Amino acid sequence: MVQISLPKNSEVKKGKYFEDKTGSKNLRKINVYRWDPTTEENPRIDTYEVDMDNCPSKVLDILNKIKNEIDPTLAYRRSCAHGVCGSCAMNMGGKNGLACTTSHSEIEGDIDIYPLPHLKVKKDLIGDLDGLYKQYQSIEPWLKNNSTKQTNEIYQSKDDRAKLDGAYECIMCACCSTSCPSYWWNGDKYLGPAVLLQAYRWIIDSRDEDRKQRLKKVADELKLYRCHTILNCTSACPKGLNPAKAIAEIKKMLATANV
Amino acid sequence: MKNRPLSPHIQIYKWHISSLVSISHRITGIINFFAITLICFWFAFMLLGETNYQIIKNFLETFLGKFILIGITWSFSFQMLSEIRHLIMDYGYGFELKTTKVTGLFVIFGSIILTILIYFLGRGFV
Repeated sequence: MVQISLPKNSEVKKGKYFEDKTGSKNLRKINVYRWDPTTEENPRIDTYEVDMDNCPSKVLDILNKIKNEIDPTLAYRRSCAHGVCGSCAMNMGGKNGLACTTSHSEIEGDIDIYPLPHLKVKKDLIGDLDGLYKQYQSIEPWLKNNSTKQTNEIYQSKDDRAKLDGAYECIMCACCSTSCPSYWWNGDKYLGPAVLLQAYRWIIDSRDEDRKQRLKKVADELKLYRCHTILNCTSACPKGLNPAKAIAEIKKMLATANV
Repeated sequence: MKNRPLSPHIQIYKWHISSLVSISHRITGIINFFAITLICFWFAFMLLGETNYQIIKNFLETFLGKFILIGITWSFSFQMLSEIRHLIMDYGYGFELKTTKVTGLFVIFGSIILTILIYFLGRGFV
């Protein structure tokens, strides 16, 4: 259901202010969403003054700097720092993206950093993605081949392989799904752009023999048709993929094919 | 662990052209639903004869009446253009970020231009 305001326990309060101690003249204010699960308190926004003269170019570098030099209690996920693992997905300057590939120079004014939108927060910038992973499992993201005697590799033409471009590169960072208002209001039933892009990836795979079943499974008022082409997903994707188009292609297949 | 807060969503997410057009499409859809009811009443009053027709005519000539008429014209124009955009998208075209921006702007400004055109057409200026 559409719920515009936040529940009482989620209202964001003003937090602490960390003044700069380096004496640098090139300072930037970073507002970070904080929530500590060991207390009963509401989430808060802590503000850090960060010395930009000694900070590399990405938002993740700012977070690392805060954690290493100012406040070691800050919690966030990160791993590869090269836009490959998808761990550091968060909301920066009002838009979802990977902290390791988003330059802080892209954001004007103070930098607001929030966890991915409309998730249950585990701590600070870490959201709970269990629901999304369960939905991902529900589309059975593996190759299905009905023959039991298949022992050699399954050939695929260059054209068929090319169909997977733009779908297989997804790193499941959840930037798109958590940017989608439809997914905010109906996340328990609507599969969301990330999972639907993967559903599409297996539907169009020429080696997969379960195409019809897959299409049937996804053809559902709530699972698929909650996409209203708001296109937040496509504009949020840090890998430049187009989940909205993939969803449109699934809709088109269902409208034209005899499933 | 039960008391986990929900991270902020619509309060913090940045608007862009496609999301604006999408939400406006819904709002104009609701407006049009009521607008059609109003138009039905208008027709019903017409059928009831001249004196009754005069009542609604007098109302539509007030400032509020004119505002409603122009508002309806805009919401119909917007809905129509946005629907065409959706139709093209249903064919699987126009999903590239740049294209969605251009078509979105086309819908927004097109609806305003259409409203002005229809206004002048109705006034007999064209």
